[in-house]
Amino acid sequence: MLILLKGGRLIDPLNARDEIADLWIEDGRIVAPPQGRQPDQTHDVAGKIVMAGAIDIHSHIAGGNVNTARLLLPELHRTARPGELSLATAKWSTFETGNIYAAMGFTTVVEPAVAPHQALQAHLELSDIPIIDKATLTVLGNDDFLLSLLRDGEGPAAIADYVAATLAASNGLGLKCINAGGATAFKYNARTFGLDDVVPFYDVASRKILEALQRAIQDLKVPHPLHVHCNNLGVPGNVSTAIATIEAARGLPLHLAHLQFYGYGDEGDHGFSSAAAALAAAVNAAPNVSVDVGQVMFQQTVTISSDVLRQFNGVSSAKPRKSVIYDGDANGGGIVPYLYRESDFVNAVQWACGLELFLLINDPWRVFFTTDHPNGAPFTAYPDVFALLMSREARAEAAARVPQDALAHSTLPSIAREYNLNEIAIMTRAAPAKLFGFKDRGHLGEGGIADVAVYSPDKDIAKMFRAAHLVFKDGDLVVRDGRVAHYRWGKALKVNPGYDKAIDRRLAGYYERHFGVSHNMFAVPEHILPHSDPFQEVACAQ
Amino acid sequence: MVEARIDGKSASIEAAAERSAEILSRARLPVIAGLGTDIAGARGAILLAERLRGAYDHMQSDKIFTNLDVNRQAGLMCTTPNEARHRADVLVFIGKDLTRIWPQLVERLAPGEIPMFDLPHEPRKIVWIAPGRSAAELKGIAVETLDSSDLHATLGALRARVADKPITAAKGAKRKIDEVAEILKKARFGVAIWGEELLDRLAIEMLHGLILDLNKSTRFSGLPLGADANSTGVTQASGWMTGVPMRTSFGRGYPEHDTWRFDANRMIESGEADAALWISAYGQKAPDWKKQVPLVALVPPQTRFFQEPQVLVEVGCPGIDHDGAEFSRELGTIVARKASHPSDAPSVAAIINRIAQQIGGDA
Ligand SMILES: [Zn+2]
Repeated sequence: MLILLKGGRLIDPLNARDEIADLWIEDGRIVAPPQGRQPDQTHDVAGKIVMAGAIDIHSHIAGGNVNTARLLLPELHRTARPGELSLATAKWSTFETGNIYAAMGFTTVVEPAVAPHQALQAHLELSDIPIIDKATLTVLGNDDFLLSLLRDGEGPAAIADYVAATLAASNGLGLKCINAGGATAFKYNARTFGLDDVVPFYDVASRKILEALQRAIQDLKVPHPLHVHCNNLGVPGNVSTAIATIEAARGLPLHLAHLQFYGYGDEGDHGFSSAAAALAAAVNAAPNVSVDVGQVMFQQTVTISSDVLRQFNGVSSAKPRKSVIYDGDANGGGIVPYLYRESDFVNAVQWACGLELFLLINDPWRVFFTTDHPNGAPFTAYPDVFALLMSREARAEAAARVPQDALAHSTLPSIAREYNLNEIAIMTRAAPAKLFGFKDRGHLGEGGIADVAVYSPDKDIAKMFRAAHLVFKDGDLVVRDGRVAHYRWGKALKVNPGYDKAIDRRLAGYYERHFGVSHNMFAVPEHILPHSDPFQEVACAQ
Repeated sequence: MVEARIDGKSASIEAAAERSAEILSRARLPVIAGLGTDIAGARGAILLAERLRGAYDHMQSDKIFTNLDVNRQAGLMCTTPNEARHRADVLVFIGKDLTRIWPQLVERLAPGEIPMFDLPHEPRKIVWIAPGRSAAELKGIAVETLDSSDLHATLGALRARVADKPITAAKGAKRKIDEVAEILKKARFGVAIWGEELLDRLAIEMLHGLILDLNKSTRFSGLPLGADANSTGVTQASGWMTGVPMRTSFGRGYPEHDTWRFDANRMIESGEADAALWISAYGQKAPDWKKQVPLVALVPPQTRFFQEPQVLVEVGCPGIDHDGAEFSRELGTIVARKASHPSDAPSVAAIINRIAQQIGGDA
């Protein structure tokens, strides 16, 4: 079927386009204007904004820890209305997740924290998220096998082989490292863990784990650089940890996740302040580093993290007062419900810090749009975050409601910058495609898959982004005016780096010895997943 | 050959699916019960329940909710069997029923071995609270036993002594409690292991409090053993699909969860549910209810019923007759199991799909 989107404003930063033009779609792909052919379907989108489908680079939407949070907190997500499509309104279900993302014009979402031993559950959950494509980042850095390789002084080749074998088994798109060594140190009763702290038993410093994994990803030519959740998340004064981690990257590619949670000084009466300006300057000066923000918004949420040490330290601030702390085979995780309050000094500093990072980091190709769903705020708050970024007035109104002493050490009130639609498109489409090595999405060029979001401009920016006018997934019109018309089932994107298969034999022996089972027990066989052909490979560089 | 029966007489799968669809869609409030099936079967069953505007429950819900209700009230600290095996320098077994719940317990946790991740690398201490005769299972391993006729009192006393608070007890009993409290406090990474039959909600909540207290100064975690028939896997699938565990109804067109209202036995006995789809692929288990309701059963051969089902389809066992994903107690995660003896016996998911097709669309 030949589809024409007629006369919209095409915003396509990867192809340096921002102009009124037609967009043609055929067989799920974007095509050149066909000569002498009539479209089978025409949508008049004059006055509308046409972008590629958005890509969320970091959102906790699936896996054991997410599901534990669902089961822990039924009172936070009671379903109250029927939907037209299967389980579409079931609160916080995988089905609802796909519906809401699609309605906002998101067509690819990356779940950033999958433990290798829980990969099957994560992929089962992702399979039940309709419409969108998905991907996972595999977590290493607290696992006995890696720490033993480092302790025993094995070279980069063995580590790269191990990383590649683990990515292959777990079907990951990239590698994440969460408080490198910290979860293991916590098992030896450490209560804090910094970049130069050493993991007991292994005698390996956090920094060394980080460098080894960063190098492995580079050696394997995996497009996405190592995705790092730094040490000392949430701790006053932790801006020094973030800056030290940027330095530890030594000019090589590194992605720092939810940077807002590391943007804290220890100044002022509360010993807690926004250090976003210094941190943004460090990011601006390090072109090898990309970051996502993890914006906080004022509402009830739940923090879900494989940084079990940090989560344990947060248990006393749980609201409602219950948490799950899980000492897993490697990272494990913690679930701590949390209420971000507008009247709370610390929460206000966090809110301001995130916005400062968005606005003070100059290059929209290196700062990514996240709330670290659901840690800073549920992804349903995205439209409101867009509004704050695009309107100084909206920020001033919101800032007037928070404790004013919280803004005393913040630069937020003085920042005039407003994101324009082109920058929004970079941050949520073009740059994520580059970050993950996607050639087929994040743009509106010929040959790209026809993931397209059409928005109706509105003075109410949040309204515009909450309910897209039209959304096409693979050329299939799935959303009209924010309403999902029907389901389709997307792919999970993964890499498949080559490696020396000798490591498979080593791992087989290791799993027999340590777990008493075959390493295959942790695999994700395609035919076990509910939809056929569930994966799509993203090429590694040559 | 695949066996199906309608009113006790041999029938084709097609006819059985058709008749099942009739029975279930005619009901005012059907309930899908048992749910002893792999993830694919549970997934199909939940989607079918939604289509039927029925409810769903699992045969092991009582045990699952004994733990989950405490988690939802107070939280949880837990670990994996593998961490217990390789890291725990102190293992605390609670109750006489552990090896009955999990026959591989001793083999998997290897209490007699030195835990390889323990820094001092010393033989571990084993405590067994309320062991009955089961401490004898640990042949040749030194065990500190603590008899208890009242677990609430024992756990309460232990918690008090761990927090250095006084207790009133006979001298000998007090000395024993103190000895165990001392072992717990000195643990570097202790793990308590319990089952959900002997321990009730109050006992589990007290244990959770004890574990939290111990973590103020050292590391301690828990290992609840859960229940069989993939109850943990089905709980997980229900969680991601509907946001809530089983004992959930679609009577109003959206999932509502209530552990009392949507208990399948209660729904049937009270007459609120007027038809049932019973699923038990892991064993020849029939429903416990006594009331006669139109019944469709997906069970292994030779399952004996109190009341002959209107429709019966013999299904295979996940991991034996066909590949399947299920929660693995020994690994503490969902795994894919390859069929050990592949056969023609259909999977629960396949039969549910046939029934759903009769109703319209596929599950
Ligand atoms: Zn995150």
